[in-house]
Amino acid sequence: MGAQLPEAEPQVATSALTLAPTAGEPIERRRGLLHSLDVVIPGAMLGFLLFLFFVWPLIGPVGKPTGGNILNANIEPFSSGHLFGTDPVGNDIWSRILYGGRSSIEIALAVQLIGLVLGGAVGAFAGYWGGALDLVLMRVLDVLIAFPALVIALAIAQSLGPSEFHTILALSFFSVPAFARISRAGTLQLRERTFILASRLSGTSSPRVLLRHVAPNILPQLVTFGLLGMGVIIILEGALSFFGLGIPPPNPSWGNMIFDGQGILSAEPRLVLVPSAFLFVTVLSFNLLGDALRSRWSAL
Amino acid sequence: MRSPTARLIVNRVATAIPVLWGVTFLTFLVVNRLPGDAAQQLLGINASQQQLQELRDKLNLDQPFLTRYFDWLGHAVTGDLGRSFASDQSVTSILSERLPVTFELLAYALIVSLVFTVPVALLAARKPNGIVDRITMATSMVGLSVANYVLALLLVYVFAVKLEWLPAIGYVNPSDGIWPFIKSLTLPAISIGFPLFCFYTRLLRADILEQMQGEDYVVTAKAKGAGPWRVLARHALPNSLFGLLTVVGLNIGTLIGVTVIIESIFSLPGIGGALLEAINNRDILVVQGIVLVLAVIVVLANLITDLLYSVLDPRIRYGRAAS
Repeated sequence: MGAQLPEAEPQVATSALTLAPTAGEPIERRRGLLHSLDVVIPGAMLGFLLFLFFVWPLIGPVGKPTGGNILNANIEPFSSGHLFGTDPVGNDIWSRILYGGRSSIEIALAVQLIGLVLGGAVGAFAGYWGGALDLVLMRVLDVLIAFPALVIALAIAQSLGPSEFHTILALSFFSVPAFARISRAGTLQLRERTFILASRLSGTSSPRVLLRHVAPNILPQLVTFGLLGMGVIIILEGALSFFGLGIPPPNPSWGNMIFDGQGILSAEPRLVLVPSAFLFVTVLSFNLLGDALRSRWSAL
Repeated sequence: MRSPTARLIVNRVATAIPVLWGVTFLTFLVVNRLPGDAAQQLLGINASQQQLQELRDKLNLDQPFLTRYFDWLGHAVTGDLGRSFASDQSVTSILSERLPVTFELLAYALIVSLVFTVPVALLAARKPNGIVDRITMATSMVGLSVANYVLALLLVYVFAVKLEWLPAIGYVNPSDGIWPFIKSLTLPAISIGFPLFCFYTRLLRADILEQMQGEDYVVTAKAKGAGPWRVLARHALPNSLFGLLTVVGLNIGTLIGVTVIIESIFSLPGIGGALLEAINNRDILVVQGIVLVLAVIVVLANLITDLLYSVLDPRIRYGRAAS
């Protein structure tokens, strides 16, 4: 999944050094800023997108994403009040993009948080205690990884009905095992380190070692992994909605917008192209940011 | 006395069995929990109670859950995966009909992506941060950020609708002409293969750079006077290819999930379509058969990857064979 966007930048060591707070002459500081453009640019892009999805619908002139009038169907893009025009049932596309983006981000965040907390904890327990617990937990994760996740997603959508919450549930089947593996690998490495041994020898209880010593050390890795995975989850959420298993229509989601436009791709390509473009830019921003942060951490 | 490789095989097969058992049990449980059963789905909502009951008796749906599962398991061990509720076709014949299409698609996508990955990664690694490298990295970032269903629709729009070079949907059997067959799979294969190419290229480039920077054998090769290309292609590349191989093997599971989506966009008669249809019909034995085969493929791919690794890399063969 998104975990593996490998990059071995020869310069990361220097850029990490310039990032460290130094007694600031202005020249030094400017160099630091230039070196961190790889974080600033995707960060700003993301900030702008988040503003559009979460704040702009509250304060700006954005229409309702559903319940459009059929009389307003298929209005051309850039006409007054409809930046990207309207779809074949008369809903404003711009508004559907914004609300669809909002649910995409909400779902991806929730899924990654569940993965981080649950998967992170399971992986850390398994790695720290080892032995039979590790063996059993890892086999259970193997089952989940070998299991076609689409079947679980389909089953959840069909038995519980498509909804935002159920989409989160289904996609967590992807994120929890992935986080658990990363967290276990990190814990296994830490377990051998002297400071962990020292705290255990001084009588610190296991939960406390895990929480105070292991967790802070694997967290940066997990957070970076989570950022890189945001794009993957957003794409998967789109795929579920594409099959009618994610956000239930008529509520907007980029996936179901793309699916609706697929049938009339040759006549009205913008119905596919506009949500696709937003999907792409959002995922790209997450990937660029995650990648930049990852090369920072690996240099430290 | 057994060799470490033999021990690895035994070890892996022993751990694979509980995994496969877990996967099939979970599937049975999940499909069983779905509302409505096969009898209801097949006869529709207008069926009378009596009709439903007759079909349930015929399909053994009234047996307790565990009885049905162990019944299936007992037959599955002997290679009998049962018959479809919907078509009465045997599950093995459905699999042998559908699997080749999925395999052809996957093989096409993998070959295309790997054929491009190796030269492009070498070119990029030749001068890190040079112009070729930067273009490669930017392109691969784009490829990793585009959803493959979006890529599929874009390709259809450009190459099928606008240029009319390739068919938009459908599958041509290779016996009906090898050229139409390749044409029918080209757009789906690119939709799967291009993101893969981007992913593999980043991986291979990073690995080659790592080899070039730290490894003694690279220093030795340079000291002997080998040219930069020779060091890259003959010394660093073979070592880096191990890493790539592992990732290709471990990724097979994810790839199969992607294939389901792409097959449905291009209306290909592969395993993905069969799985979707079977879930909708609550055709539990077909779902079981497909999931079992997919899980076996994933487990086998991991096993083969590990074995190749231990066969090709003596450090692993003698050092950590048991782990």
